[in-house]
Amino acid sequence: MSDHNSDRAEPNLTPLLDMVFQLITFFMLVINFKGASMDLSLKLPVLGSARPLERHGKLEPLLLNIDTDGRVTVQGKKIDVEQFITKEARVLKNQLQILGTPIENGELPVPVIVRADRSAPFHLVNRILKLCQEQGYRQFSLSAMTREEKH
Amino acid sequence: MQRSHSQRRRRRKRDQGSVEMNLAAMLDMAFQLLTFFILTFRPAPIEGQLSLNLPPPVPVTTPEASATGGTGIENVLTMETLHLHVVANDRGDVSELRVELNPVVQGKLDEANIQRLDQNLHAKFAVKQIPFDRIQIAVDGRLRYGELMKIIDVCHRQKLPDGSAMQKISFSEVDVGASSSPK
Repeated sequence: MSDHNSDRAEPNLTPLLDMVFQLITFFMLVINFKGASMDLSLKLPVLGSARPLERHGKLEPLLLNIDTDGRVTVQGKKIDVEQFITKEARVLKNQLQILGTPIENGELPVPVIVRADRSAPFHLVNRILKLCQEQGYRQFSLSAMTREEKH
Repeated sequence: MQRSHSQRRRRRKRDQGSVEMNLAAMLDMAFQLLTFFILTFRPAPIEGQLSLNLPPPVPVTTPEASATGGTGIENVLTMETLHLHVVANDRGDVSELRVELNPVVQGKLDEANIQRLDQNLHAKFAVKQIPFDRIQIAVDGRLRYGELMKIIDVCHRQKLPDGSAMQKISFSEVDVGASSSPK
């Protein structure tokens, strides 16, 4: 009886919990799921005029990370670029067929985002651009940093 | 008097049927979630895009060929396509840049040379008699991608007669052995 009445220090955890939930909400909102598809080790060219990509439509763009040796990484995995682009184009054409979207002049209405290292020689990047063009991709978004990153 | 009455009533209510949740477990879980988000948090890089329409390159017709006359689709394309020719050195830097046949840049592509190229292209696009709607760049295969992007950026800044930005840019690769590099 005396135990029950003695002063027990019970901190009010409600405000603390509120604050923690607010922090969790903040981190959930700013979490960058697309970061997984980007190879952040690449040093992109720096161009002041580069603008954020405006997306139209529901179809996902094709994102290709190209390193200095011309190797292509998608979702963190090195891939055989020729096979990958052919497969992606085939899947996209099927999707467009299901959606009833006509393919005009054989041009696929989905952009290819090219994230190539600034030191990569042009002939390696061009090989990949050509492969995309052969499959019908015409819209390209070349990624660049808007300003030099500080290390 | 009234105050003490209401206090008494509140206390009685609390004693009778209040449910106190144990928040400690929930707080533990919330902290774990928070730790996960903090540890996996990586701010998105400040990245932009240069949107281009890259049609496959068309066969290049030299300005001499178009000057000699002739008819057909190749000449029509020559009238509307501006040709740039970029030669690189072994390090992958620009060593020479020609607009049609005129050398515009000699040496490294620094700020002054970029400005010179911009002025040259601006003058070309200001001529209303020849409405360019496309730029074709013949690029030395050794050129570094970063250097090429600087050139594309200048091309992208040019305005078409309707006021829109130049977006139709195509590349063709010049054989390294065929291109003469001064360095």
